[in-house]
Amino acid sequence: MNKTIRALLYLIYTLLVFAVAFGLRTYAANNLSIDYDEDDYLRAGQEFAHLIKTDNWSGFLETNYRPEHPQLAKIMFGLSIVGLPEKPLIADLPITANPVSTLPPDLLAAARNMSAIWGSLTAMLLALINPLGGLILAVHSFTIKYTSQVMLDGFASLMSTAAAVTYYLSKGKTGKTKSVFLIASAIFLGASASSKYLHSAVGFAILIDWFLSAREANETKKFFRNAFLWGVLSLAAFFVFNPFYWPDPLERIQVTYEAVSTTTTNPNVEKANLPTWQPFIHLSSSVPVFWNEEGFLFRVDGIIFIFAILGIAQTWKKNRFIAIWLFVDLFILLIWRTKWAQYILVATAPLSFVAAEGIKSTGANLVEWWQTRHQRGKEAVKPSRTETVRAIPWLMPGLFAFLVLTIFPLLFQIAISIISLDGNSLRDGFQGGIWREFWGGVLGQIEPNNLARDGKVHYIGFQWYREIFNWINAMGMPFFNTMWTVISVTLQTVLGVGAALLLWQRGIKFRKGWQALFILPWAIPEAIGAMLWLNVFVPLWGWISLAVKKIGPLTPLEFFTNWERSPDTAFLVLLVVALWYGFPFMMLAASAGLKLLPQEVFDAAAIDGASAWQTFRYITWPLIMPLIVPAIIIRAIFAFNQFYLFQMFYFVNPDFNMRTLASLSYFLVYDWRDFTASAIINIITILFLVVLIVLFNRWSKAGEGVTYA
Amino acid sequence: MRKMKPLRQLLSQLALGLIGIYVIIPIWGILRLTFDGAIKSRATEFHWFPKEFSIQPFLSALDRPYQTASFMTLFQNSMLVSVSAALAAVVLGISLAYAFARFRFPGRQTGLFVILLTAVLPPIAFTTPLYLLLSWMQLRTTLLGLAIVYAAFAMPFCVWNLRAAFQAIPKELEEAAFLDGAGYFTTFWRITLPMAAPSIAVAALIAFLMAYSEFTIGWLFVEKTETVTLAMSIYAILTSGSAQPWSQIGALAILMSAPVVVIFLIFQRTLLERMMFGTTTD
Repeated sequence: MNKTIRALLYLIYTLLVFAVAFGLRTYAANNLSIDYDEDDYLRAGQEFAHLIKTDNWSGFLETNYRPEHPQLAKIMFGLSIVGLPEKPLIADLPITANPVSTLPPDLLAAARNMSAIWGSLTAMLLALINPLGGLILAVHSFTIKYTSQVMLDGFASLMSTAAAVTYYLSKGKTGKTKSVFLIASAIFLGASASSKYLHSAVGFAILIDWFLSAREANETKKFFRNAFLWGVLSLAAFFVFNPFYWPDPLERIQVTYEAVSTTTTNPNVEKANLPTWQPFIHLSSSVPVFWNEEGFLFRVDGIIFIFAILGIAQTWKKNRFIAIWLFVDLFILLIWRTKWAQYILVATAPLSFVAAEGIKSTGANLVEWWQTRHQRGKEAVKPSRTETVRAIPWLMPGLFAFLVLTIFPLLFQIAISIISLDGNSLRDGFQGGIWREFWGGVLGQIEPNNLARDGKVHYIGFQWYREIFNWINAMGMPFFNTMWTVISVTLQTVLGVGAALLLWQRGIKFRKGWQALFILPWAIPEAIGAMLWLNVFVPLWGWISLAVKKIGPLTPLEFFTNWERSPDTAFLVLLVVALWYGFPFMMLAASAGLKLLPQEVFDAAAIDGASAWQTFRYITWPLIMPLIVPAIIIRAIFAFNQFYLFQMFYFVNPDFNMRTLASLSYFLVYDWRDFTASAIINIITILFLVVLIVLFNRWSKAGEGVTYA
Repeated sequence: MRKMKPLRQLLSQLALGLIGIYVIIPIWGILRLTFDGAIKSRATEFHWFPKEFSIQPFLSALDRPYQTASFMTLFQNSMLVSVSAALAAVVLGISLAYAFARFRFPGRQTGLFVILLTAVLPPIAFTTPLYLLLSWMQLRTTLLGLAIVYAAFAMPFCVWNLRAAFQAIPKELEEAAFLDGAGYFTTFWRITLPMAAPSIAVAALIAFLMAYSEFTIGWLFVEKTETVTLAMSIYAILTSGSAQPWSQIGALAILMSAPVVVIFLIFQRTLLERMMFGTTTD
């Protein structure tokens, strides 16, 4: 294709991305209610607008309302309202105050629209280096929310994305062009830091990638010189964009530091008591409906998050810088103490890029799967007619029982999930209500009726699926469940393989004794195991609490008292129990694998001078993998469904959000008698497990025995 | 066997010792409570060993551990429910497993996937619909209902496992018997079934253990104390925060889980292999 036409098409496309982004953002700007902090930044904008109008340029040196954030983005809000008639200054409320009910409408609209332009420009900028990624950023609901309200993140993320994009573009260039792009990225970085400090995380990502690339090209010396200059330049830019720092930089750093300390430790932060992984909950769910009912045409952040997980490996291979950018941002979000939702805008730009790669590679996989279907059909074992006839008498009795006991309940569950059935309507349900509403609804004779609470069963259709999914997503349960599976199984594998390796050493003493001891947790029923640990951890009268009471505080054990008050420590305690319960199984699997290894290989490795780690990494691990992988899969499925542990610990750790879907489903039936919600949760669980099995099947040939051979 | 260097031996033993402490702490914690006659309700002081050694907690646990139910009632219920669930799951599962192991018929691949999927589902995924179906049939609060529920939990796993067991038996043996004039059923009854007997027994054992150590879900299928199982009673005493002394709860837990632990220790290799869905080779 002609180069000019291509460039033109590309330009049209990026403009289209801008249009989509801007449309969604202005729609949100017109419909969203006033949020926390919007009054603060609008007031800051008013102050700057006043300074500009009165030509009071020296006032910029002293004016910085809410000094925990730098000036630039607030000055931008000032510019957005400078053309409007001035209003009395918005009231200065304490930082813990609830969102105000009204703000001057014209000022609010102008500032919000300015925010929307920045947000749309960010999407357009990303579309320059990744067309699909730009579109994803345009439709990401959390990004839309905070780039259509008076928030600092809009301008800050525009600047940080600009820094990343210019650095990204510099990579393929040489000579003068490269320098121009790098200088631009340094200036943009300075600007992003002077809009909101956290957004300068991208600078670390640039430095890491730059260093790695330089090392590969053996140019580390050159890197240190250039990176130093680059860093000085971005610091200078930061200084220039922040007149507040000019009079006395050190004193102003002090002011900023104190302001940041108060905002990150204020009572709202304490009260929210959010877990470390909260940013991931925000990223894996869209803007909850109960935050903002209006303002979004659709909410698909969860799907974007899933595609980002699928795309991360591909991005690491093809665009390492983007992957590093995402990792650095996520790391910063994890360690930053305040976990408010707007912070995730630090990471949504790279996330969208990675999600785009995920969509591309998933699409490519599907196409390949579709194209090879004929070939697979030929390879598959053909059913034979004689065998089918012979199979019938065998299939009949077992199939009948299987259908009655297993398949029918599962199908029945689908029926329950589209009618409203709870403790009150149970009687009507059993008197024919279930079938009446189910068939009536399916055949279209009954309109969905969601609201009636008259003790009768009603057809509700599939709309509860979305509501329930949004509900559990807003609580972060699917994410928690997945994280729980990954972390607990990883720990179990490490300790299990470690113990197996220790016991496998030649000449180790007491091998049999240790092994017999280590197997115990596996042999003890899970609920009893949980009860044993409950006796250790339970607040006030558990072993640890009593020990601390006796020995006195300030022992390391004290860390494990009051654990139930914070989600992080509660998670740790649950992990301690899960590790205890699960590592023996991994140890047994690893031991079985180790026994099969030929000793000669290790002797040869020892003669060749391989270190212990090398021997493990290149010889032992690959050889025991075939046995470890099925064990990991089984433990992963078990951890995903973990039930008794959460049931037993629930009454000391009533953090409702911290439980598996299986445990939630039981709660819904047992405590709330809400059969519909429980059925929907079960169906969601089944879908998750289908995906898990398919993934595991692809992941490793070794899993073949577990899936179907 | 080569000797280890003493330092390495020492470090390894230290590491193993740390893991050992980790393993033993919760077990020791409950043992020390259980043999302590001085505990009236909850522990109030830290001790490494029982303050007043006594087996009284065991005696009370063997008497009336839960409300009006005697230990024997609870135990009987447990055995009755678990044994019938295991028998039902295995007997009903055998023919299905055999068909999937031996014959190629349309829908086999899909069927296998469904069986595997149902085998990895959490029991609660079947519980909600079974609760409604059994209430409807007015079986929900009977021991039979409980047995049906546990059989439903265990059956997919049993089918999957037995299929692997049947597949491991050489087809040639059956063909030889068939050539000698035995019918299909005779071949199965005389040749295949006896050879698969050990695997069937293990599958039944696992199904039994699944039902025997089910603590929570059963509470949806029970209204009277007479139909409570041993495991369920422990869960109820624990979560109701009742005034029962912890030494007695501990004793009950030990009485309940000791047989399970012994079974696991005796059959560890076989159980491991079966739980890995037949993927270990040794």
